[in-house]
Amino acid sequence: MSEPRLDESVLMSLKEVMEDEYPLLLETFLCDSQERIRLLQQAIANEDAPAVRNAAHSFKGSCSNMGAALLAGFCKQLEEAGRTAQLAQAPALLSAIEAEFAAVRELMQAPH
Amino acid sequence: MSEACTVLIAEDNAADRLLLSTIVSKQGHRVLVAGNGAEAVELFQQERPQLVLMDALMPVMDGFEATRQIKQLAGDELVPVIFLTSLSETEALVRALDAGGDDFLSKPYNKVILQAKLGAMLRMRALHSTVLQQRDLIVKHNEHLLTEQRVAKAVFDRIAHAGCLHAPNIRYLQSPFALFNGDLLLAAFTPSGGMNIFLGDFTGHGLPAAVGAMPLAEVFYGMTAKGFSIADVLREMNQKLKRILPVGVFCCATLLHLNLHQRVLEVWNGGLPAGVLRRKRDGTQHALISRNLPLGIVEAERFNDHCEVFAIEEGDRILLWSDGVPECSNVQGEMFGEERLRELIAASRHENLYDSVRDGLQAFSGEQQDDMSLVEIAVVDEASLPRQSMPVSGSTKQSPLDWSASFDFRASTLQAFNPLPFLMQWLLEVQELRPLAGTLHTILTEVFSNALEHGVLGLDSALKADANGFAAYYHERQQRLEQLKEGWVRLSFDHRPDQQGGALTIRVSDSGGGIPQHVLQMNTPSTPFSGRGLRLLHELADQCWREEGDGSLNIRVRWQHE
Amino acid sequence: MPISSIASADGQELTISIQGRFDFGAHQEFRDAYEKVAVTPKSYVIDMKGATYLDSSALGMLLLLRDHAGGDNARIRLLNCNSDVRKILSISNFEQLFQIG
Repeated sequence: MSEPRLDESVLMSLKEVMEDEYPLLLETFLCDSQERIRLLQQAIANEDAPAVRNAAHSFKGSCSNMGAALLAGFCKQLEEAGRTAQLAQAPALLSAIEAEFAAVRELMQAPH
Repeated sequence: MSEACTVLIAEDNAADRLLLSTIVSKQGHRVLVAGNGAEAVELFQQERPQLVLMDALMPVMDGFEATRQIKQLAGDELVPVIFLTSLSETEALVRALDAGGDDFLSKPYNKVILQAKLGAMLRMRALHSTVLQQRDLIVKHNEHLLTEQRVAKAVFDRIAHAGCLHAPNIRYLQSPFALFNGDLLLAAFTPSGGMNIFLGDFTGHGLPAAVGAMPLAEVFYGMTAKGFSIADVLREMNQKLKRILPVGVFCCATLLHLNLHQRVLEVWNGGLPAGVLRRKRDGTQHALISRNLPLGIVEAERFNDHCEVFAIEEGDRILLWSDGVPECSNVQGEMFGEERLRELIAASRHENLYDSVRDGLQAFSGEQQDDMSLVEIAVVDEASLPRQSMPVSGSTKQSPLDWSASFDFRASTLQAFNPLPFLMQWLLEVQELRPLAGTLHTILTEVFSNALEHGVLGLDSALKADANGFAAYYHERQQRLEQLKEGWVRLSFDHRPDQQGGALTIRVSDSGGGIPQHVLQMNTPSTPFSGRGLRLLHELADQCWREEGDGSLNIRVRWQHE
Repeated sequence: MPISSIASADGQELTISIQGRFDFGAHQEFRDAYEKVAVTPKSYVIDMKGATYLDSSALGMLLLLRDHAGGDNARIRLLNCNSDVRKILSISNFEQLFQIG
């Protein structure tokens, strides 16, 4: 794996910007991400390629903001699958996203 | 660093929204947040933020549509919209630009770049708003100026309309606001049924060019109505302008006097393009050349009021124009030019002279231009024109009815002074004579010029038999008058009341022995250019006779009680 | 600079050269050309060799110079006028006020 799970330098600058509200940012991200994953599951179940693309795009953006580079990478692949309406790999990518998100959540929730 | 302002953030992702709003508010701005495009439009209407950060893909309404609506709501105001999307996504980029997006910011957000972009956009906004303010100010100033011009024009029109530009023998082309381009066109009847026409072109544009117009118009109308010669009018105009205008501002002008019963055209041109006198009889043209400095440049002592004199016949036409005519340009910026104008005049049929020039100008330039004046005056029978009544000062006093008076005008006075306007003003103190003012002025003009030209100067009317002789006659008149050492004209007036009303007797004698007997006898055939005046006296007067003793000419005019 | 002026060695004569269009746009420059000079010349030369055009406001500016140079006592020569410029001067009969050569 070339991409880090969590980019420490990004997290450092987020702490600097957010100060006391840093924990709130993490919590918002985690909470929002669960909603994104639910939307992805739904879109894949419905084989709705544009919905897959949009949800993956949006999730990708916030992952990159939070330094979750690996997760952002998976989202990008799923977004591309949605864009080209080739959803064969989508369930596998979704599983990868779910697993990676669980790992990220664990790291973020760990005491700092 | 730009000033603090209100920034609207439209982003459906809660974490991104929180992050972005924290960064922006830490840079000192007030933040409004919206979770989708529809909320963003709503918030924009309520709060009018100065800048928008806009996510592209959002539920309910996407960022492209929201941007379109916000730009429309903003109207003239520049509200920069920065799209929150990566530059690598070409399709989204194009749609964002189409919708009116001004810049892009890609994730992950970098606070330094965000700050720089906000700063740049707010500076652009400030510049734009300065431009708008200045534009609005200019619009306001311009409206103000136009209002002032309308008022000034209304005042001026009241004076200008005292004239006779509407007379059936005058046609002209002039923009209603030509006054503010410095062009001035005036026309008025003289008391004896002739006509004076003035075309002037002040240097410069706008108000400075218009200020001199008012006093010129007053002088022109006032003196024309009282029967002053155009040389008198010109001297007064020049002196007035010289006194009131700053150095460097002057008026190029042509002044014409059409004496319709003597069929004489007097012309003075100072600085205007040479107009044209076109003969009906043979189509020949005479250029009315500028031989003088424009009005308002030299002091009274140096001013030359000498006019050129032409014999005219019914049907002859005079065309005058200002610089604006040859200088009028077409869409390619090419000028119409003097040469094209002269060719047009030469090629046009006589009766279509004015129309040809007007149509030629319009065909060339495509539209009527503001700063040109073109006027054509046709020589017509004076009976076809309406008569002006003479303005008189002082009106309610009782009339002097029983009196006589005599005036002698000797050589040096005859050289420089035209007594007729003063005699007229004085005669019209007899209120009952006022309806006859035009007739009296015509009679006085005739008898005075007869006495002067034949009696004192010894000129022979036979000279005036053809056009060349005519010019020679007036040249000779000028010469002899300048060299005049002795001689006199006597005008005696005698007014008496009678049972029906009253009678004014005018007696004219001169140092040359008065009028020869044979001239008064009407069985001699009159040539085109002479004898007309005396025939006119017979028509106008109640009685007209010659005294054997001193050769004086006597004219009696009666009036009756109502 | 479209308008420049140069004084003769003895300071008795100032030559003002005009380049291009001589119209209202040249107003300030033309004034500066005779007002902002160290000498008090007895006569003036306006060199019109480079002047392509002249309008009525330029005539006004010439009158201002004439006034500055003593009005009726002013000695001003206009040199090297092309035919267009000469025509405009002659319609206005400015040869009565200026020496035109």
